[in-house]
Amino acid sequence: MYEISQDLSLDKKLEILSDAAKYDVACTSSGSDRRGQKGMLGNSCAAGICHSFAADGRCISLLKILMTNHCVYDCKYCKNRRSNDIERATFTPREICTLTTEFYKRNYIEGLFLSSGVIESPDYTMEKMCETLRLLRTEYRFNGYIHIKAIPGASSELINSAGLLADRISINMELPTEESLSVLAPNKSVKSIITPMSAITEGIASHRLAIGKDARMERAVINDRLSDTIFSDGRRQNGRIGADNRTEGIKDGKIIESINSAILSNNVKSGGIFLPADPKDTSLKRPFAPAGQSTQMIIGASGESDFDIMSTAQTLYKGLDLKRVFYSAYIPINDDSALPSLETPVPLLREHRLYQADFLLRYYGFKVGELLSEEKPNFEVGVDPKCDWALRHLEDFPVEINKASYDTLIRVPGIGPTSVKRIMSARRYGHVNFAMLKKMGVVLKRAQFFITCDGRMMGNIPIEEKFILNRLTDVDRKTAYDIQNPDNSVQMNLFNDFGLSAGTA
Amino acid sequence: MRVFICEHNWEAMLSCIYDAWSSKLGHQNIRLCTSAPEQYSLLDEYVTVSFDRGKAESVMDAVNLKISPQVYSEIAYAAMSSEEDALDTIYRVLILGFAYGPNVLKMVSYKDVARFFEIRRSVGNEAHHFIEFVRFHEIRKSLYVAHIEPKNHIVGALGAHFNDRMPSENWMIIDDVHKESIVQPKDEDFYFKKLSDDEFTRLLCTEEENDEYTDLWKVFFDSIAISERFNPKLQRNLFPIWKRKHAVEFK
Repeated sequence: MYEISQDLSLDKKLEILSDAAKYDVACTSSGSDRRGQKGMLGNSCAAGICHSFAADGRCISLLKILMTNHCVYDCKYCKNRRSNDIERATFTPREICTLTTEFYKRNYIEGLFLSSGVIESPDYTMEKMCETLRLLRTEYRFNGYIHIKAIPGASSELINSAGLLADRISINMELPTEESLSVLAPNKSVKSIITPMSAITEGIASHRLAIGKDARMERAVINDRLSDTIFSDGRRQNGRIGADNRTEGIKDGKIIESINSAILSNNVKSGGIFLPADPKDTSLKRPFAPAGQSTQMIIGASGESDFDIMSTAQTLYKGLDLKRVFYSAYIPINDDSALPSLETPVPLLREHRLYQADFLLRYYGFKVGELLSEEKPNFEVGVDPKCDWALRHLEDFPVEINKASYDTLIRVPGIGPTSVKRIMSARRYGHVNFAMLKKMGVVLKRAQFFITCDGRMMGNIPIEEKFILNRLTDVDRKTAYDIQNPDNSVQMNLFNDFGLSAGTA
Repeated sequence: MRVFICEHNWEAMLSCIYDAWSSKLGHQNIRLCTSAPEQYSLLDEYVTVSFDRGKAESVMDAVNLKISPQVYSEIAYAAMSSEEDALDTIYRVLILGFAYGPNVLKMVSYKDVARFFEIRRSVGNEAHHFIEFVRFHEIRKSLYVAHIEPKNHIVGALGAHFNDRMPSENWMIIDDVHKESIVQPKDEDFYFKKLSDDEFTRLLCTEEENDEYTDLWKVFFDSIAISERFNPKLQRNLFPIWKRKHAVEFK
C-alpha cells in the first residue's frame, strides 16, 4: 500500500478522512461519567453532549475520523473498499492528537471517534490505533471521551489495550445474517465478528466485577421500575453472563445462533479473559471500556426483515450485553450487482422505525416478540411501533393515569420515561388532570386515546381501532403508506368513519 | 397593588422578597419584578428595592433552614430566568414552601409550582444548550475566549462544567446580552464578573483574531454531513438559528 501524493496538507487529510468516516453512525459521547483533573484536559458526562448538528441533522459529538482510508478488504457496500478509485490518506498519530485536543479546547467536540480501514493486516492497523490512543492519553493528557472501532481479526491483546484506553469500543456487525455477510463482505465472517465481541463482553464484565460493580452494564433507571424487561433476567443472576440469556427459538442459521453458541461455549477461552496486562503501568490505570460496547447494522442493503434485525439486536443486548445497537440506512455509493441499484431511495423511515423499536426495548420494557412476529415481519409505515402495539391491544386501554402502575403507564403512546416519572411524583401530592399532563410534557395528541384522568377521557372517544388509527397516522406518512399498499386505501365514509348515523328526522 | 422592583441579581432579589414579605399587605396585593414595567399603571404603587446584605441573608437562612437547601438551590437556579414573572413565581412558591415544607416543588397541581417548574426547566435547557454550543476562540497563545447571547442570565451556570472540563487552561465566557462573564485563570477557581462598558467594548473584538483550527473545524463540519440525508429542518430544530450567532461553523 503506498500513497501517490505523500504530502497532503492537514485540512485536505481531514476532509478525506472525515468524509470517509461519515457513514459510521455511532456519534454518541454517553455512558461514561468521569470528572476532570488538574493538569489534564477533559471530562466525560454520562448523558453525552452534542456540540453541533450537521446539514443532515445528525449530531456532531465526536471528532469522527478514520486513521486511514486505505483498505485491504473489498466489502461491497463500503466507500473505502479496495476496488474503489478514491483519494487515499493517512493521519499520523500526532496529527490526530493535535486535532482532538485543539478542537476539544475550543468546545467543538466531546472526544474522538477513531475508526480505520485495514492497512497491511488487522493487527498492524489495531496496533497503530492503540499507539495513537496511548499518545493521546499520556503525552497529550487527554481525559475526554474516546470511542474506538475494533478491527475484526485483530489479536485479543491489542483489543484489550484499546479497551483500556477508550471509553467505548465497538465492532460493526454491518449485516444481521450469515448469508448476506458472505455475499456483501466476503472477507469477514460471523465468527470473526462474534468472537472479539464476546471477548470484549467478558472483558468488560470481569473488569466491572473487579471494581465491585454488577457484571452487566447499567441501563436506563426506568428499567429498575419495570417488572419484565429484556435486561431483567441478567440482572437477577448478578454474575456471569450465562446461558440463560440466549434468545430461544428465533429463526435458524442466523447470527443469533452464532451468538448463542459463543455464549454457551464461552468462546473467550481462546483469547482468555482480559485483565490489565501490566498492573504497575500507572498511566493506564483505567477501567475497561466504561461506556460499554456497541455495534451497527446496515439497513436495506440486503433482504432482511425488520423482525430479523430486531431479533439480532435483542440477542446482542441480552446475550452480549451491548450498550447500544445502531442502525444505518444504506446509502447506495457503489455500483454492484450484489447491491441495490444506485437509484434506490435511502430507507430513512425504516431506519427511524427501527430506532423507535430499539428505544422501546431499552427504555419501555418491550420485547421484540411483542412488536413483530414471523407473520408480521415489518413495522408499519403509517404509525410508530408503540402506537401499533397499542392499537393491537385495545383491550388493555384506556388506563387511569391516577392509578396505573409503571408497567402500564410506560406502554401508553405519548408517555415516555420522563413523563412517567413526573406523573408518579405529581400524583403523590394531588390528582393529575389533562392540563397538568400537557405541562408535564405528555404528548396528548397520541395519549388522549388511551388514558383517563379520574375516570374521564379527554373527549368523546370510542375505543375503536379504525377510529384511532385514522387520527394517529400523520398525513405525509399516510400518503406514503397508501401508495405502498394500494389495497388498503378505502373511500372515506361519513357513516362508518365518523360515526354519524343516518338521520331519522 | 404594590409592585416591588429590584435589579436582576440574586442578592437584590432576596432583599426584594424580604421587603415584599414584611410589607404585610397581603400576598394577593403585591407583585415582584426585576425590571421596571414598560407601562406604569395609575392604580399601582411602585417601590424600588436595593440590595441589603442583612435582608438577603435572612431570606437565605429562612429558605435553607425552614424549607430545604435543595429548594434554595432550585429557586436560585430559576432566578437566572429573564421571564417577567420569574421573581413573582419564586415568591409564590416560597409562600407554599413555608406552609408545606421541602416537598413543595413536587406539588405541581398548584399553578405557581407548575409555572415555576416551567421556568426552571427553560433555564436548565438553555444552560445545557450553551454548554454544547459555546465556541472558544484562541487569542494569543493558550487564552480562550467565548461569546454567547443567551436569553436568560445563564453564564454563571456554565462555570462548573467548564471548570471541570478544562481546569488547566485560561478561559473566559462572555454573555454579550447581559454583559456578564465568568473567568478562569489556569489551575485556579473560576469567578463571576459583571463587565463594565469599557471592558466589554475591548473584549468584543476577540472573535476577529485568526484561529487556524476554526478553518479546520469548518472543513470537518462540511465533510461529515451526508448529502443524501440533507435535512435542514431537523438541523434547525436541534440547533436553532438564534443560538448559532457565535458558532463558527455557520459563519
